[in-house]
Amino acid sequence: MRLKGLLAMGVAVMLGAAPAAAGELSFWHAYAGQQDKTDFINFALDAFAKAHPDIKLDVVPAEQSAYKTKLNTAMASGNPPDVFYTLPGGFLGAFVDGGQMYALDEDLAKDGWGASFLESALAQTTKNGKVYAAPVDVDAAVFWYNKALFAEHGWEVPKTYDELVALAEKIKGEGLIPFALGNKDSWPATFWFQYLEMRLKGSGAVAAFVNKDADATLQPEAADAFARIADLAQKGYFPIGFNGMSDQEANMLFLNGQAAMLLNGTWQIGASKDAPEGFELASFAFPEVAGGKGDQTDVLAGVAAAFGISEKAANKADAVTLLRFLTSPEVMTKYVDLRKTMVTVKDATTEAAAGPVLYGISNGLMKSAGHLDPFYDTAMQPKATNAYYTSLQGVLDGSVKPEDAAKKLEDALKAGQ
Amino acid sequence: MTSTSRDVAPKEQTRAALLFLLPAFVLIAVFVAYPIVYAGWLSFFQWDGASAPAFVGLDNFLRLATDAIFWKSLGRNLLIAATAIVLQVFLALLIAYCLVRIVPFVSRLFLFFYLVPVMVSEICIGLLWRFLYNPYFGLVNASLKALGLGSLQRGWLGDSATAFPAVVVVMSFTYLGLYVLLFVAAVRNVPETLYETAEIDGAGHFTKFFSITVPMVWDAVRANTLLAIIGSLKTFSLVFVLTNGGPNHASEVVSTYLYKAGFSSFEMGYAATIGFAQMVLTAAGAFIIFRYLKRARGGSER
Repeated sequence: MRLKGLLAMGVAVMLGAAPAAAGELSFWHAYAGQQDKTDFINFALDAFAKAHPDIKLDVVPAEQSAYKTKLNTAMASGNPPDVFYTLPGGFLGAFVDGGQMYALDEDLAKDGWGASFLESALAQTTKNGKVYAAPVDVDAAVFWYNKALFAEHGWEVPKTYDELVALAEKIKGEGLIPFALGNKDSWPATFWFQYLEMRLKGSGAVAAFVNKDADATLQPEAADAFARIADLAQKGYFPIGFNGMSDQEANMLFLNGQAAMLLNGTWQIGASKDAPEGFELASFAFPEVAGGKGDQTDVLAGVAAAFGISEKAANKADAVTLLRFLTSPEVMTKYVDLRKTMVTVKDATTEAAAGPVLYGISNGLMKSAGHLDPFYDTAMQPKATNAYYTSLQGVLDGSVKPEDAAKKLEDALKAGQ
Repeated sequence: MTSTSRDVAPKEQTRAALLFLLPAFVLIAVFVAYPIVYAGWLSFFQWDGASAPAFVGLDNFLRLATDAIFWKSLGRNLLIAATAIVLQVFLALLIAYCLVRIVPFVSRLFLFFYLVPVMVSEICIGLLWRFLYNPYFGLVNASLKALGLGSLQRGWLGDSATAFPAVVVVMSFTYLGLYVLLFVAAVRNVPETLYETAEIDGAGHFTKFFSITVPMVWDAVRANTLLAIIGSLKTFSLVFVLTNGGPNHASEVVSTYLYKAGFSSFEMGYAATIGFAQMVLTAAGAFIIFRYLKRARGGSER
């Protein structure tokens, strides 16, 4: 996948982005290679062509994996497209630091465009007080459980962390796996750490490092969070050999009714589509942690993608028109319908388009959330991510002490500042 | 042909020969020499793959010298090489001897069986073994249970104590057949008269194997050992598919560490340094072993 990225980089260096003529916009996106993605972008661009026949688009699609490198190279060579798909967080931040992004604040203030977005989503494309991209979709991590299995055994959804642990003990006692986890690729366990850190300390801890805040720290709660995870692993609440299992293998245990719960992103809805008979997917919020200093309603949710405009774009008015069109409620509802993902535009995630499970999360959990804290592993510097992943694996299998893991992660985050 | 044309011919032939060699030279220059030189050059820089590379002098090499994960990974590569000599090369020679000298009537059939893993892509083998090792529905744990050894069941790839040995087993399984094939050809070429003479002297299979077969196929042993060592030092795909070097670097080898440095952390300069060190160490290791095996034979045999 990454090799493809290198290839794309080479091609991008050779070609560059052709400068657009007047009345013409170059538009790069990453909605390629997957049926739901291409269906969406084809719908959006066809509708745009009908609504705005005067604006001609020069569209360049790429697959997600290759796209990042392709865009990076174009930006580095000073040849950016006018309007483009981007990832929030550090990826967008690098372009902002380079003065290559057009700030959208003035346009967002007009005609209620800004008010149409979830505030917490806009915060994830904001840097130094200015909004540099329009957020599109948002993924949230929640607890998933097999409702049929819960009903069969008479288990109740836990409200507090202590109840969760007690329930896990009960499930284990009945010979089932309390929590499915396939941590070979390290990201699945990050949700556990981050939610505990959010409950114990509060949201925005890693964001503070990324924003070069001098007081940024995960401590002393990080050691506690790691210790709680180590405790769960030691008590045998995760599958045997979970550090060597893939997320798909963990999903098999969950869908087959061998495991009762799973902490995972909203993409679990898609992953549960082909579940065997007798499986019923439902979700609950990560429970409250007694004595935690964080807002206990916070949700681990990150903007997955956004659209931005290059500072160099000659035709900014048309570029804004395109952005407004793409993030209009009609287009975004279609996005939800085709991709079964929540969007950042308020009320665009309708029940009809999203389906009952996703709508429940979007309308309940997300609406009542105090803050949305974006995924640590993608928000932090790539270098720190490796330290994060390996310390988590080590803590889980008992080879790394919780306080050592907390220190290693803290050091890696500081080094990246 | 006149004498003059004969005088000219060598020059023309040289020119023609050079012309035919040119494509190979160009390909090697572009796809082998240039990347090596470029990696060497890049190892003096800090580069995230997108912005301009920054010259950092010997910093990457100093970091490598004190990078415990790198040295432990290299140690694992050496351990793989050591096991490869026993579990791949020596075992293959033993199997080849049995196939040719003891059960020649089924040797073709068995040779085919041994070759199957060689013909299948390493990625497929890795995925297959991931299923075999699966703690819940894998064949390994199920067999242990069936044999009444249920207490030995574990999460093979997810346990830092067993992840690396589990990978080594798959490697031996994957590459054994290749060496069996090479050795079968070599053992078949050993003159029958030597074995006949030995049998008259009352030699058993043990003597025939160590005193006739091994010295007679020593060149093949040397070449195969070298192949196994080089392969072990740069092994990547099986580790990548089976454990991705985890958990917490417990099965990390140099190539997977390089991949992570380059393509997860985007530290291209450091990744180039690792790659450069790996190449130099592999070349040096291969050279030393090759020289040693040459001398070992010269000393003990003939």
